[in-house]
Amino acid sequence: MPPVEYSALSKEELLARLEAIERERAGSEAELLAAVKELGDVKAALDEHSIVAITDASGKITDVNDKFCAISKYAREELIGQDHRIINSRHHPKEFFRDLWATIGRGHVWHGEIKNRAKDGSHYWVATTIYPFLNAAGKPRQYVAIRTDITRRKEDEAELQRFAADLAEKNKELETIVYTVSHDLRSPLVNVQGFGKQLQRACEKIHAAALEASASNGLVPVAALKQPVEEAIPQALKFINAGVTKMEMLLAGLLRYSRLGRVALNIAPIDMNALLASVVAAMKFQLDEARAEVRVDALPGGVGDSVQISQVFANLIDNALKYREPSRLLRVTIDGRVKAGQAIYGVADNGIGILLEHQPKIFEIFHRLDPGATTGEGLGLTIAQRMLERQHGKIWVESHEGSGSTFFVSLPAA
Amino acid sequence: MKNEPVILIVEDDEGHAILIRQNLEAAGLNNRIEHFRDGQAVLDFFFKRGPGPASEPNQMYLVLLDIRMPKVDGIEVLRRLKGDPELHKLPVIMLTTTDDIREVERCHQLGCNVYIQKPVDYEKFAEAIRRLGLFVMLLLVPPVKSA
Repeated sequence: MPPVEYSALSKEELLARLEAIERERAGSEAELLAAVKELGDVKAALDEHSIVAITDASGKITDVNDKFCAISKYAREELIGQDHRIINSRHHPKEFFRDLWATIGRGHVWHGEIKNRAKDGSHYWVATTIYPFLNAAGKPRQYVAIRTDITRRKEDEAELQRFAADLAEKNKELETIVYTVSHDLRSPLVNVQGFGKQLQRACEKIHAAALEASASNGLVPVAALKQPVEEAIPQALKFINAGVTKMEMLLAGLLRYSRLGRVALNIAPIDMNALLASVVAAMKFQLDEARAEVRVDALPGGVGDSVQISQVFANLIDNALKYREPSRLLRVTIDGRVKAGQAIYGVADNGIGILLEHQPKIFEIFHRLDPGATTGEGLGLTIAQRMLERQHGKIWVESHEGSGSTFFVSLPAA
Repeated sequence: MKNEPVILIVEDDEGHAILIRQNLEAAGLNNRIEHFRDGQAVLDFFFKRGPGPASEPNQMYLVLLDIRMPKVDGIEVLRRLKGDPELHKLPVIMLTTTDDIREVERCHQLGCNVYIQKPVDYEKFAEAIRRLGLFVMLLLVPPVKSA
């Protein structure tokens, strides 16, 4: 209503005006109450879902909802008047918060994910929106931060990343095995094919000699048969058979390795001293023959499949025997300690040791350092590694050429 | 100066070495052929180390080198030969069962002249060796002074 000179109005006019103003006031009051109620409902809905904090322009907390108290584990009284340093987890660098304040200080909305620290020291992640309320001059007079708890999602993301990395590594391993095996199989195949051809040529020579004989006097000269029968054919057969045997061995080894993934494991706490005692006892004959000694110290217990773990240690002792230094008696020492929840066992020998550049290769499938001098398929360590991985353990080596090697086996501690 | 190069077969598989030798002979080569069973032996030969035979001065050599060998493999032998100022003139022909592009690349980067795949298709292998034989006969291999 337009402003008026009240002293100029009549009593009737004043009454009419008063009534109009009263009506307007009642209408405005009703609108206001409705708006306030709506706001209250919206705030209540917000509080049901989100973590809410209101700070003044300088960053001091002026209000928090119940969910904020619940997740930060602070009481309301402990939070009001504080600034957000009270929940700083030190995860984010200083630039992160400088950037945040610069954005909202200019009156812009900030979105992001923040890792905070609760009263008891535990951490939580929140997806955050900070909305500045501007005054008449366009400057922020207070900030409202609305957050949702995404701690669970962050944990799942991290675990997913670990699985993905694990899978990528396993894939690479598999690719390497396929590559290695297909090469190793080609080699004997070249011999089978090649000497097959030599066999064919030898037979052709014999055939030619027979044809010639039948064309002349019916007698086949011994000289023509000597080379094919006494040299070419036996040589060809030798290499063909050796090639076939080699291919069979490679395939059998590969099958054994691949079956490892499907064997059911019997995981239980293992008395490692008892296990080593029976492994050493089973190898008594070879150890005595080599006049080798195995000393087993007191070992911490581990958790795993005892059948497979026995195989792992038997393989390590067998390798120590195979690669011992001929000029000295073999001494093997087995010890163990617990570190960060893992039981770590060391099998140390005084053998010939392994050159640094060969060390990564020894776990490769079918790899053998000195095939001429030793027996074996080159599978023992590859299988040991696979067995241990399935039981949440590991195997690795430290070695010096000439003085000996120590193989370390880890298992979850009992 | 001895004109005919001595052919060195560096190959750990006895069967392969015999097949290569027999195929070279079948192609009509009568060069002297020497067989080394691993990379270390042929390196000792050229660098005049170890108890075995050593390369002779003013003698030409052609090396047939298998890639996969225990202890010192073919790639390592190639690297050491090509790294030596005198020995890098040696013609080296790589033999292998692989057709892997990465291995071929590595060989070429190290300066190997020719690369023959030992294929399972034996005819191709025999043909390649035969052609190699002709190649060697026509070749004027510069003599390599001792290292």
